[in-house]
Amino acid sequence: MRVALAEDGALFREGLLMLLQATGHDIVGATADGDSLLDLLATEPCDVAILDIRMPPEPDGGLITAERLRAKYPDMGLLFLSHYAESHYLMRILNIGTDAIGYRLKEKVGSVEVLSDTLDRIRDGEIVIEPSLAKRLVERPRGEKKGLVASLSERETDVLKLMAEGRSNNGIAGQLFVTPKAVEKHIANIFGKLGLHADTSENHRRVLAVLAFLRSQRDDD
Amino acid sequence: MIVEPAHRPGGAPGAGPRSERPEVSVGTDPVPRPVAAVVPDAVPPTVRLLSPGPDELLRANKAHWARRRRLERQLHDGASLRISALALRIGVMRHRIAQASPDLDDTIDELQEQLHAVLQELRDVAGRIYPTLLDEAGLGPALREAADRSEAVIRVVAPEGRFDPAAEGAAYFAVSDVLSGLGAAYRDVTITVTAEDGALVVVLDEVPVDAGGRMLDEVAGLGGTIDVTGGTGVGTITARIPCA
Repeated sequence: MRVALAEDGALFREGLLMLLQATGHDIVGATADGDSLLDLLATEPCDVAILDIRMPPEPDGGLITAERLRAKYPDMGLLFLSHYAESHYLMRILNIGTDAIGYRLKEKVGSVEVLSDTLDRIRDGEIVIEPSLAKRLVERPRGEKKGLVASLSERETDVLKLMAEGRSNNGIAGQLFVTPKAVEKHIANIFGKLGLHADTSENHRRVLAVLAFLRSQRDDD
Repeated sequence: MIVEPAHRPGGAPGAGPRSERPEVSVGTDPVPRPVAAVVPDAVPPTVRLLSPGPDELLRANKAHWARRRRLERQLHDGASLRISALALRIGVMRHRIAQASPDLDDTIDELQEQLHAVLQELRDVAGRIYPTLLDEAGLGPALREAADRSEAVIRVVAPEGRFDPAAEGAAYFAVSDVLSGLGAAYRDVTITVTAEDGALVVVLDEVPVDAGGRMLDEVAGLGGTIDVTGGTGVGTITARIPCA
């Protein structure tokens, strides 16, 4: 996989480069800001671009750069790294795109396995969401949704958290050590209890349905 | 990196720089005398600094908010970034020694978990100084996040536009303090943020009105006002904070 990187913190950029080298991926280049990354990618194609959210062009240059990259190279995967896992940024990221996109905490991609898994899933078109944020969204849904989520069984709540991380049926099955068939059954129960009509054929649609459910207020936002 | 000058801990409003007005200097000598030259009959005069006037108080308050914002950024750009980078370097080390000593994996995973915990604590401290979301995204997103943390059912209606950072800071801390005290019994709270005639106006509906006093503590330094409607129980609190 060909990977490019833009991050304004030199220490973190160097650390990430070393880790990327250890994953065995081809590193197209690393820049300190979004505009330089755009220049670089004009001549060097890549499969996934890794972007710091808070970098030049200020104040959240990663998001602006991502919008430009998505418009110019619709198939390029985007991985946002941030110091904060906030639903506000998640919603902005999902406005840029809903497939081949990811949002993770900087210090949480600190192993070859996790970084490779994150990049692979994004290249395969999945949404990847920081697990601690997915957990928080499920445990603290907006307003009147709290009661409905509380009606889920413990296992169903586990499945819902993994769905909110963007994991596919097979991914969820692997994490919980159950069969994909069992996962399907849990998901059907969850959607029934939450009153969601789901087109479960496509993973990213299902993730969006779950996130929209957890985040919606009565008449705005 | 911005290096903050040393200042007193707990820099609450009012602990900012005091004004020194020329008319209060009692001594006749304009040159400060060295302390070592003290002789028994030449005791240095004691000077009481007057309370700052309204303009100076306002300036001190704005400086206070600017300082908080800089501190938050320093935590993010300094210590936090350094620790994040360290977490990655440990990951590289783990990968390199994996073949040689697989039993070290657990130890290294544990180290990375500890770094994550330190970062979460730094994020928490930074957020209490000045929430990152408030700095980067404004009052609406920051209040929604605060509302999500509450047990109560809270709706936030806010414009996308930005206000003066000091006004945003005072409004945020005034409101989030009220929200943190609301239990699950409050099912219909609404927070409405508007811009009116050079002021930031925040209306809290269906909240305990006795919280108004604490809100006044936060907004008074910026010349803000609090109006309370609804007697002694649940009602409406309106905060108005002047801003440029």
